[in-house]
Amino acid sequence: MPQVTFSYTGQLANAAGTPEETLDLAEGALLRAALDDLASRYDGRWREMIFDDGGNVRSTVLIVLDGEQATGDKNAISLDGVRTVMLMTPIAGG
Amino acid sequence: MKDDYQLTDLDRAFYEWQLDVPGFGEAGQAKLRNATALVSRAGGLGGPLAFSLAAAGIGKLVIAHAGDLRHDDLNRQILMRHDGIGKPRVDSLVTTLRSFNPNVEVEAIAENVSDANAAELVAKVDIVFGAAPLFEERFALNRECVRQNKPLIDAAMFSLEGQVISIVPGKTPCLACLYPEVPPHWKRRFPVFGAVSALAANIAAMEGIKLLAGIGEVTLNRMIYFDTATMRFQQIRIQRNPDCAVCQSQPPS
Ligand SMILES: [Zn+2]
Repeated sequence: MPQVTFSYTGQLANAAGTPEETLDLAEGALLRAALDDLASRYDGRWREMIFDDGGNVRSTVLIVLDGEQATGDKNAISLDGVRTVMLMTPIAGG
Repeated sequence: MKDDYQLTDLDRAFYEWQLDVPGFGEAGQAKLRNATALVSRAGGLGGPLAFSLAAAGIGKLVIAHAGDLRHDDLNRQILMRHDGIGKPRVDSLVTTLRSFNPNVEVEAIAENVSDANAAELVAKVDIVFGAAPLFEERFALNRECVRQNKPLIDAAMFSLEGQVISIVPGKTPCLACLYPEVPPHWKRRFPVFGAVSALAANIAAMEGIKLLAGIGEVTLNRMIYFDTATMRFQQIRIQRNPDCAVCQSQPPS
């Protein structure tokens, strides 16, 4: 089973209470499924920051796979061969 | 940008230690002296950013920041002055910058950036630094910088983390490529140490100085992200969104 490390930044890290954790995922798992699993571990704030009211991954969440921003449909990202996922909620502190 | 500045003896006296930086020299200094920068808010991040640009001898700073100084600004807003509490923030920052380096022109505007004033403010300058605590202000700057084809260095922090994105329209993603809408959970009040803001500020200042003076390598198409909890720094590869509502029509340059 591939292990993938998830890290969180900004308000999402505060909502998770941890900067990172490692999951055992099935081969060819979709990010979307892993996010659903993670959301069930945290309180509603974490879920609200990741998913919009329609249940889709928010357009403003930056998803970084092995150091590169993932583009395209955020609900269809495969984690095949991915070692690290960074989930960044936008920050604007000055 | 004008390109006709001749260094004076006073400039040489002020800046001689940085003239020794390889590749910078008098030509690089003249480029900085020629340049005007807009800093959107001079708080915990924009303050040290403007301070470092003034120290480096930029020609002119245009600084937009509304409101009166409060006690609780002073853990981070290092351009401010304790005797300025209750008075306009722009008064404090002008006093500080003028007493630090009277050789740099400062135009302080007691307004925050908005859709109403962004076009006029961006038109005055060669480079823009975004350091406002609200996405609406950052997005207004982003739209105008793309429209007027001006570089924007966007710097932000939260708690122990910070990030800097150098935006060159047509060459890099713009802010709206990364965040197509205002993030609904962002709050005006955020946890902050001044040192974290100042760290992001000085990374942004160096990005701008490199871009203006033509030295080093500006960090294009990468977000600089750091977490002072672990002192881990990283660069994240970022991409233009071909459907971006702001920069889609800007041809790749
Ligand atoms: Zn864009």
